[in-house]
Amino acid sequence: MFLQMKNISKNFGPVKALKDVSLEVGRGEIHGLMGENGAGKSTLMNILAGAFQPTTGEIYFNNERIHQMTTIKATEMGIRFIHQELNVVNDLKVYENLFLREEILKNFCFLDHKSMIKKSIEVFQRLKIDINPNELVSELDTSRKQLVEIAKALLFESKLIIMDEPTTALTNNEIENLFEIMRTLKKQGVSIIYISHKMPELFSICDRFTVLRDGKFINSGAFKDINEEEATEMLVGKSVSSIPLQRNEIMEDTIMTVEGLTCEPFFKDISFSLKKGEVIAITGLHGDGRGELAETLFGARKTTKGRITLNGRLLDLSSIREVMKAGIGMVPRNRKERSIISDMSIKDNLSMAYLTTEHKKLMVNKKEELERFRRNQELTGIKVGDPNDLITSLSGGNQQKVIIARWLELGSDIYILDNPTQGIDVGAKYEIYKLINALTKLKKSVILFSAEFPEIYKVADRCLVMYKGKINAELKKKEMTEMMVMYYATGSNMEGLKCESKT
Amino acid sequence: MRIENITKPINNKNFKKIYKEYSYVFSFIILVIIAIAVNKQFLTYSNLSTLIMQSSIKGIIALGMTLVIISGEIDLSVGSTCALVAGLGVVVLNSTESIFIMLVFCIVFGTILGTINGLFIRKGKIASFIVTLATMSAYRSIIVQLGQGGPFNVSSEMYPTFRMIASGKILGIPNLAIIFIVISVGIAFLMQETKFGKYVYAVGSNENASKLTGIHVDRIKILCFSITGLLTGVSAFLLSSRLTSITAPNAAMSFELDAIAAVAIGGTAMSGGRGKIFGTFLGIIMLQMIEGILIAAKIPPFLNGLVKGVIIILAVLLQRKRTEK
Repeated sequence: MFLQMKNISKNFGPVKALKDVSLEVGRGEIHGLMGENGAGKSTLMNILAGAFQPTTGEIYFNNERIHQMTTIKATEMGIRFIHQELNVVNDLKVYENLFLREEILKNFCFLDHKSMIKKSIEVFQRLKIDINPNELVSELDTSRKQLVEIAKALLFESKLIIMDEPTTALTNNEIENLFEIMRTLKKQGVSIIYISHKMPELFSICDRFTVLRDGKFINSGAFKDINEEEATEMLVGKSVSSIPLQRNEIMEDTIMTVEGLTCEPFFKDISFSLKKGEVIAITGLHGDGRGELAETLFGARKTTKGRITLNGRLLDLSSIREVMKAGIGMVPRNRKERSIISDMSIKDNLSMAYLTTEHKKLMVNKKEELERFRRNQELTGIKVGDPNDLITSLSGGNQQKVIIARWLELGSDIYILDNPTQGIDVGAKYEIYKLINALTKLKKSVILFSAEFPEIYKVADRCLVMYKGKINAELKKKEMTEMMVMYYATGSNMEGLKCESKT
Repeated sequence: MRIENITKPINNKNFKKIYKEYSYVFSFIILVIIAIAVNKQFLTYSNLSTLIMQSSIKGIIALGMTLVIISGEIDLSVGSTCALVAGLGVVVLNSTESIFIMLVFCIVFGTILGTINGLFIRKGKIASFIVTLATMSAYRSIIVQLGQGGPFNVSSEMYPTFRMIASGKILGIPNLAIIFIVISVGIAFLMQETKFGKYVYAVGSNENASKLTGIHVDRIKILCFSITGLLTGVSAFLLSSRLTSITAPNAAMSFELDAIAAVAIGGTAMSGGRGKIFGTFLGIIMLQMIEGILIAAKIPPFLNGLVKGVIIILAVLLQRKRTEK
């Protein structure tokens, strides 16, 4: 075998991200690595690329045991990693990014700009894309940044390329071109580890598969021996998350109307309405302006145009506190950076929003705080020992429940959940879905910002698909399929229009 | 819903937790033992009260510094602010012949200077390190110019009464020690029992998250600088009473160093979000004790700065070790 990872385990503090996982990839093989979010795929690949050290386990590359893998060593051995998150430096030019840390030199120490630009053009031609190497990366939109990332891996002689969801931001044409290059590379004996959630892609391009679930090895084999259904079953397992949720009746009265909301250059002319007890999902790809929209709805970003009516009254978007008082709560994305206050206790994290808006006294009464915590703990099912422990002692799912409970305490009517199940395990995800359902029972409305289709399908009544800062389509429950969502999220309908008008 | 009750036996883990939170108390105890070893008189009442008295003027500034550092910023200008307020305070005292008016002046002027720092930092969006470095230089320069390099002396009419504020005793306890303890308790109360205190910790721990729960981050941080200015004003008042003569070029020199050192030794995280007022209280006393130990151990006083520098680095290093575990 060309690459063997044997019995790899990795602990992050008390969290066991990988338990005894093995992976084998042959020369010139395209290997599909499958698993739900949080299954441990990225961790495993980061270990292979030398970014993390495994707690236990062995790596063999070309039949040679590799001790103490580092990112530099991995690059020297010809292992390339195309990351899921874009790892480009925005303030450098395209070609400077491509050759970062591997610059071509002339006369011993001077940068050879000319040949670097020439090589960049060559690689872009192979990829059949027209990106000017002299352009600043910050000028490119997300799909093009992704292509730069891919080009970087193709620039040098490599033996193994790891592609972590490279197609999420690409259009269908670009994906087809990428696949063609992958096939060429395969003929040249380059191995590829391909991570994706899209079954059709995996089945069309990959030879063999390995499935991980909850940090454990589940199965490995050839794609030709299985079908999509079997693959899904391996991915999901017989976990609780497949139990369907019982939805409640949506009330007829509209609680919120958004009209022509604009925040240049992120999004333009967003209009929708929300009923009592309704869950709508807003989805799209990177760079669609979804994150900015979530912030704007909460008053955390200034609008240039448009208005929001809530409960028949015009909403004052000038400060977060006004929006909170009007009855909107928010669970921000990137829990670590934007929502938990890591040096404070569980109890204080829950109380914080109440303290800023409702609490009128100067002093904070410890007994009241504890009562407040117990009350909301019961509602949301937070599992905790001592509420005075630091919030970081909780698991991701329980942390998220604390953040949701913040707004319950304020009696908020609308809950903006921005990527609420990011980085939490499958079981905890289902708990969050149940909680969303419970919110609707209390006649609360939810706006869910998410990029995960299964999640949207599970909880949302309607789905708005964004593309380049605009709402491209509104899908009812019956129309919601992953295909339809991707079709509108990639703007394929607009591409189609363009082609027609040209011919 | 089920509530999981995790039973916690008193074990190694609990001890570690206590140590993590109160490590400054442990260092204090160690230092006391060393101090007793080099100075048999250390535990006498007169020695202890002198120790607190000597720490008090810098200590009051260090209390404000704790707020600023917990909120995630830093203030390098406190020494110069103290000198500027003290120098002008003496001028006010001499011309009005009223100690009360001087006190009010010191408090108000100190607060204004602190607020100016805060406004530049938050509204002008300049790093606190840069703003306070600039005002450190500016405030000192103003007072040196006003005094033409010479001292500001308390007039002979005011001297006897004014001097007694810092040098007097009530029931055998030095006034300075009483004032320091009272202000410490007040600030500790502010940080532990009020909403404002919670906000300061929250803002220092995670500014983004704090903003998204409706905390006015700018307002809280500016207030921290204002409070530091206010306390520096009080400290300037006491300094002039103690010295009765403010020599502009070197009065309150390197107070910022001592204040920051006390905060670091007291276990406050330099990155913000964590820290205790009691820690700083012990921290400034520890600094004073170290000076005493150095003298008793016959280490040349010129090396004081070296020792303080080493202690700051060690304190922060130990903190890092603790948080990583």
